[in-house]
Amino acid sequence: MARTKGYPEALDKKLRDQRYYREDSNPEFLPKVKAISRTIAHMCFQCGTCTGSCPSAPRSTYRIRQFMRRAVLGLENEALTDPDLWLCTTCYSCTDRCPRDIAPTDVIMAMRNLAFKRDIIPVNFLKTVQAIYSSGHGVPNNDVNRAAREKLGMSRDPATTHSFPEYVKGIQKILDYYKLKANSDRIVKEREG
Amino acid sequence: MEAKKEAPVKQEVKKQAAPAPKQAPAAATVGGKKEQPRIGVFICHCGTNIAGSIDIKEVEAYAKTIPNVAHADNYQYICSTPGQKKITDAIKEHKLTGTVVAACSPRLHEPTFRTATKEGGLNQFRFEMANIREQNSWVHMHDPEGATAKAKDAIRIAVAKASLLQDLTPKTVPVERAALVVGAGVAGMQAALDLAAAGIKTYLVEKSPSIGGRMSQLDKTFPTLDCSQCILTPKMVDVGRSPNIELMTYSDVEAVEGYIGNFDVTIRKKAHGVLTMPEAEAKGISGGGCNGCGDCEPVCPVIKPNEFEMGMKPRKAIYIYHPQVVPLLYTIDWDSCIKCGLCVTACGDKKAIDLEQKDEFVKIKVGTAILAIGFDLFPVENKKEWGYKRFENVITSLEFERLICASGPTSGHLIRPSDGETPKRVAFVLCAGSRDNTGIGKPYCSRFCCMYSLKHAHQIYEKIPGVQSYLFYMDIRSFGKMYEEFYYRIQDEGAKFIRGRVANILEDPATKNLHVYTDDTLLNRPVDMEVDLVVLASAVEPSWDTTRTRKLFGVSCSMDGWLLEAHPKLNPCGTTTAGVFLAGVCQGPKDIPDAVASAEGAASAASIPIHKGEVELEPYFAQCIEEKCAGCGMCVNLCPFTALALVEKDGRQVMEVTEAKCKGCGTCGGFCPGGAIWMNHFATPQIVAQIDAFLLGGEQ
Amino acid sequence: MEATHKYAFFLGCIAPNRYPGIESSAIKTSRKLGIELVDLKGASCCPAPGAFGSIDLNVWYAMAARNVVLAEQMKTDIALICNGCYKSIWEVNHKLKKNKDLRDAVNEVLKEIDMEFKGTVNVYHLAELLFDPKICGVEKIRASVTNPLKGTRIAVHYGCHLLKPRKERTWVAPGIGETENPMWMEEMVAALGAEPVQYRNKMQCCGAGGGVRGYDIVHSLDITNEKMINLMEVKADALTEVCPFCQLQFDRGQIEIQEKFGVTYGLPVLHYNELLGLAQGMSPQELGLDLHGISCEPFLQKVL
Repeated sequence: MARTKGYPEALDKKLRDQRYYREDSNPEFLPKVKAISRTIAHMCFQCGTCTGSCPSAPRSTYRIRQFMRRAVLGLENEALTDPDLWLCTTCYSCTDRCPRDIAPTDVIMAMRNLAFKRDIIPVNFLKTVQAIYSSGHGVPNNDVNRAAREKLGMSRDPATTHSFPEYVKGIQKILDYYKLKANSDRIVKEREG
Repeated sequence: MEAKKEAPVKQEVKKQAAPAPKQAPAAATVGGKKEQPRIGVFICHCGTNIAGSIDIKEVEAYAKTIPNVAHADNYQYICSTPGQKKITDAIKEHKLTGTVVAACSPRLHEPTFRTATKEGGLNQFRFEMANIREQNSWVHMHDPEGATAKAKDAIRIAVAKASLLQDLTPKTVPVERAALVVGAGVAGMQAALDLAAAGIKTYLVEKSPSIGGRMSQLDKTFPTLDCSQCILTPKMVDVGRSPNIELMTYSDVEAVEGYIGNFDVTIRKKAHGVLTMPEAEAKGISGGGCNGCGDCEPVCPVIKPNEFEMGMKPRKAIYIYHPQVVPLLYTIDWDSCIKCGLCVTACGDKKAIDLEQKDEFVKIKVGTAILAIGFDLFPVENKKEWGYKRFENVITSLEFERLICASGPTSGHLIRPSDGETPKRVAFVLCAGSRDNTGIGKPYCSRFCCMYSLKHAHQIYEKIPGVQSYLFYMDIRSFGKMYEEFYYRIQDEGAKFIRGRVANILEDPATKNLHVYTDDTLLNRPVDMEVDLVVLASAVEPSWDTTRTRKLFGVSCSMDGWLLEAHPKLNPCGTTTAGVFLAGVCQGPKDIPDAVASAEGAASAASIPIHKGEVELEPYFAQCIEEKCAGCGMCVNLCPFTALALVEKDGRQVMEVTEAKCKGCGTCGGFCPGGAIWMNHFATPQIVAQIDAFLLGGEQ
Repeated sequence: MEATHKYAFFLGCIAPNRYPGIESSAIKTSRKLGIELVDLKGASCCPAPGAFGSIDLNVWYAMAARNVVLAEQMKTDIALICNGCYKSIWEVNHKLKKNKDLRDAVNEVLKEIDMEFKGTVNVYHLAELLFDPKICGVEKIRASVTNPLKGTRIAVHYGCHLLKPRKERTWVAPGIGETENPMWMEEMVAALGAEPVQYRNKMQCCGAGGGVRGYDIVHSLDITNEKMINLMEVKADALTEVCPFCQLQFDRGQIEIQEKFGVTYGLPVLHYNELLGLAQGMSPQELGLDLHGISCEPFLQKVL
């Protein structure tokens, strides 16, 4: 919650109120995160096993334990606008070791889903959506590979949607059901023009 | 199941009690006088506990319409003095023949209201309780209408039974003036010493060859830093010397029969393969028997790990754990002994070794028993992330205790198992396997590991100059007397506390050092701490023989596996089995002060029936209606408590109940095809009346 | 040959579209071991659990379910060769079988394309099928080897999505499941005649997942680099894995590490199916090893 002391901008930023107040919490955030992640996020007792297991923590400011704390305290804005949210590799080591049987990885995925609803999403994800929409593949075939396949005595395209493009329609219907393509295109356009 | 309830029983009931609600049924009694029942119903508000969900006024008004109800009343708290007075006064004023209180669970106040009934001039068993709280108002808080209707049903059912209750007299049985304590750790020994000091002959049974338990494995005890053996051995000596204590080491409880005041216990005295001096004398070997000289040990060719030293020191197939064991008597591990006989030769004239010795069974009779069967460490290798048993330099807390103990395998020098070097950087991993909801570890807190880890940090600070300890914790639970001060001291000595649960441990293949990975949650940075040695403060669990032993005594365990006390707050030393008590860690993890206190509590409770000399049994016995008994004897083998027998009376065979053994379980009563068994206080007519009242009565 | 076990072969994206040698070696080596992999027509991206699940898990469930339903229509269990695909296909299959609410929500969407998830097939990773003695087993692998990879030191990268989280996995083959120090893939490497080598922190992630490779490539490469340092410490001749995405991260990643961090390793990275192909006598050409970013020559010189 931006609290202003009425000072000139630079001082207001430097001296901003750092305290946590109850008003900083959105009580809806935790239930939303729990519903999407299907895990008992509220039971986190901040033991630190998750961050202790994390491959991203030693090389960045990403702290899964802190994201869990934000979920429990309802600090929605802080969580969803933190760029570190996208540094989780989903290795699931934290989930594997959590003594409270929580899945912190799934909490991150839930937060990412909620961030996307606010159009917060790195553009590489959207490019994947577009690729899937057009070809059915996140990493589509290319001519270099087609030639290589042919040399190996295989069909130029695999027996996937590449060889059976009629199936792509079904995929497009699924993506359109959730308006994923429309939203992705819109955001890509906004970012890249 | 239906076959057991055959026609004869039902017809009998129909003669005795009319089902139609408008008629006033005559009370059925066996050998009692016929009387018109006049039941008093007392409905308790229990503050808002009951009144908050149930409409008391409506229920009282309904009660007045139930057949046989001569009086109905309500009160805030019937268990209070004025409340009880209402019962006693009403009995006299309205000439009641029975009382019903609709209130909480009989587990709480059945005795209270029975006493009130007695004081009103009635036999105390003319009282019936309807639970409209735990089984009604507390679980139907959101359905007051349904709760009120259910309360009416409950009272109607209770009145139906109360109308048929008889005078009963509790049976008094004598109590054997002896007690049994199973387990000779500090709790078992303390309980035995207290019982013995109170003049009670006490059998102290211990499964291992020597007494002392876990406390004798410790080096120092927190927070006083007393040498553990130094404060324990006086108790061990007292146990050995006490004329009232019969110590049976290397023995197991084999069978338990009987009931409070009269337990018949069979003890299996396992074969040591070695004769004690009295045993040798008895066999005619004058001056013979084991004197602990140890001549047998060097010649034995079989080497095994010494369990007392957590497997870190060898012992032979013929062994004692260490020279200070009580009793000082060698034992042969039959699983490892190859019967080469070299020990027999070495023993010489003492002739103390008998390779053919067999287990002996001893039967004892005791009035009460105390279980003090202790704990084991949870197998922490199952938490693979910490590498126990994969990495040499990861050890458990008990292994640490033996290493740091002057009488241990390294004479008190803490060394790294991989190379024997003295570690300079030691990590203590707290909550290793405790507070764990993954299904692999234990969900509970093991209570004393925070404190002993602080103690361990102190011990190495004292012994290894320049050593650095790191305690990786989630919380420091220093809850007891002088415990927080101890935490202060350890931090003052320079131990470093990192608030983070250890995620995993990896080994450096070259140096065998360990890398401890966690999150310093206070610093908000992930940690990779390289150390020379890791000590895991493992969770604890009930000792391996607990399930078998507790079942012999009919003691349950709670959800967490520890033995179940009668009430966690108000009766932590008792169990729901009369005459059986709990002491020490077997009831739940506790430190030495609490273990000793619980032992004293158990001993006190166990001595009461013995000092009173007699105990009252509730008169819920089966009785044989001899006129109806065909003497078929089919019920005799059904009884789980062997309380029944066929006897000859007036020239025919009839069944007879040994009332002291009968628990009133109803197996025989439910079975008897001739309806010849009457279950006191739960007789068939009474139960059928309850069922009929529920199904046929009411405001349907 | 004994009874053949037939599976619908779910290809994913990276194997068929970037490392086709993995696809062809999987088919050929499996055939030699009594496993027949048939086309799963019309399969799509699994969809990539990290990249896609991050955006909208509902779409992830629906798309993965669609792939499973294709196999249900064939009445054939699925076999796949990628940890990432395993997470999407196996886990969604497992979750939809267990949770009616998820299943109903997914079938609402699949109704639009005339499909219905019924939960009638099972999903397996080819590696677990190869390890399971009921299907193949280590001894059978050993017996099928005609060109043992003798004298090579091969390290194993287990990856993440196959085994973790342990509590959300059920295995039919005995001996699979441990996530802290598994050794079953080393057994499979030893069956090829090679020497499996241990290295520090072998269970660490490759760094590519969760969309991180696309979002912050140097962050993902730093994670990969940590593993590379540990691999070089034990002088491995090759690294093997069962996930084409990990393969991409280690293979193309070493080139990117060279560009961005200035370190060169040149460690050949091969999918287990490629190694198995070599050991069963397939040529490097047949395996398309020339498509690898890091040349497999130093390794091939030792085994051919």
